[in-house]
Amino acid sequence: MSTPVADQAAAVIGSVVERVFRSVAEVREDVLAGYRAAGGRMCDADLTAVRDPLRARLSRDREVAVGMGVIVAPGLLTDRPLRMEWWQADTEGTAAPVMLEVDLNPASVGFYDYAAAEWFVVPRRTGRRHVVGPYVDVHGTDRYLLTLTLPVLADGEFLGVAGADVPVARFETLVLRELGDLAADVVVVNTEDRVVLSTSPRWLVGERAVFADAPCRALDEPDWRVVVA
Amino acid sequence: MRIPAGDARRAVFAPLDDGAMRSEAVVRRLGSAIALGIIVDGEQLPAELQLAASLNVSTVTLRDALSDLRARGLVATRRGRGGGSFVVASQEALTELSRGRLRELGSTDLRELGDVRAAVSGAAARLAAERASDSEVERLRETLARLAAAEDGTEQRRIEGRWFIDVAAAAQSVRLTREEIELQFELGQLLWGTERTPAELAAAVAAHERVVAAIAAREADEARARTEEQIAAVTARLIGVHVRLTRQGHRRADHAGSYPEAAGS
Repeated sequence: MSTPVADQAAAVIGSVVERVFRSVAEVREDVLAGYRAAGGRMCDADLTAVRDPLRARLSRDREVAVGMGVIVAPGLLTDRPLRMEWWQADTEGTAAPVMLEVDLNPASVGFYDYAAAEWFVVPRRTGRRHVVGPYVDVHGTDRYLLTLTLPVLADGEFLGVAGADVPVARFETLVLRELGDLAADVVVVNTEDRVVLSTSPRWLVGERAVFADAPCRALDEPDWRVVVA
Repeated sequence: MRIPAGDARRAVFAPLDDGAMRSEAVVRRLGSAIALGIIVDGEQLPAELQLAASLNVSTVTLRDALSDLRARGLVATRRGRGGGSFVVASQEALTELSRGRLRELGSTDLRELGDVRAAVSGAAARLAAERASDSEVERLRETLARLAAAEDGTEQRRIEGRWFIDVAAAAQSVRLTREEIELQFELGQLLWGTERTPAELAAAVAAHERVVAAIAAREADEARARTEEQIAAVTARLIGVHVRLTRQGHRRADHAGSYPEAAGS
């Protein structure tokens, strides 16, 4: 069922998500260019070439994402088993972006097991872009995030994923600002019934909320529902 | 070497609080990190100046700590080109380090640690029961399956540490997750050095399974109660070992047996 309020919320969310995916698609093109330049056999250094454009992107005005980069399929690089090139702007957006360094030692208590993460597994399996969250990015950025990823494919070969992080709080600010005053409260939930966004303190972001009979509108993408409460 | 690779590594090399016994604090911090696999056997430590600055201690304090670690057999120093301080992940040395810590702490310190663990992990379990997604519950179950199958005590403790951290992440709380990482880090320096018997491990896994079953069933109070119960049992065992070690203090040098009471986390 569709209502003007739900349609408005869906449109705003759709445009924010689309903006982020446009940036992610640029990252993917940089990776593919590096792959072609390396003649299809990438090594560690070929990936470093995406670094400067990543930093420039994170520093530009109106960039929604605070983290961006590429996560390489295990075993793709000739000289390193696991590799990510991920850069982060600080939350205030004042200092220069810094590289995210994670623990890639499987025996460590702090191991960042990216090959098992939903934002890696799903685009790899489906070949399509994907939105994950809200979730705690434990052992990674330590932030509460939405992560948007798309697969990097060269002639059908999966090279890894390009992606962007949007803190849940930042997403909320952007969407609420665009929404302005609404005639009713809206709650956005993901496929796991987790609240992504809410205009009412009755439903808190991160909690589970199951709505049986309330009017709701499914978004085309991501796979979320807008509930008018 | 670049230091800040991952949240756990950042915690290892974060500045130490002001206080007494600072070279001992450096030794414990690095010992914990070795025990938890955050810094690995053969890894070169940062240069002294850099390490001292990162930990916020003087180079004199750092050198004291490194010479203590060397004497314990947890660090080896090589001179000349390509030289420096290298980590030696010696199980015996880690065992001795954790027993020393259990001896010097008071039972009230151990009770306080248990109190904070109950507050943090208990709240995390309660919130996870309310908020965890089905896929997060599934991941917790997978972690427990890996724990049950783990071959040795070192691997078991690391997986168990990850389990507690994952519960906090499933609670959708960045701050509880950070607190849990800190607590597992502190616990790492106490729990080392005792292999669990298969029966003890099975009991610990069963206790975690009761928690995950309560989380899956969305029984928040039950998840919290089972977590607190489990932590209280570990705290009691640690205090038992502490009392025993303290009473045996005068003949500790010739007492190299194991203390299975310190088995659970």
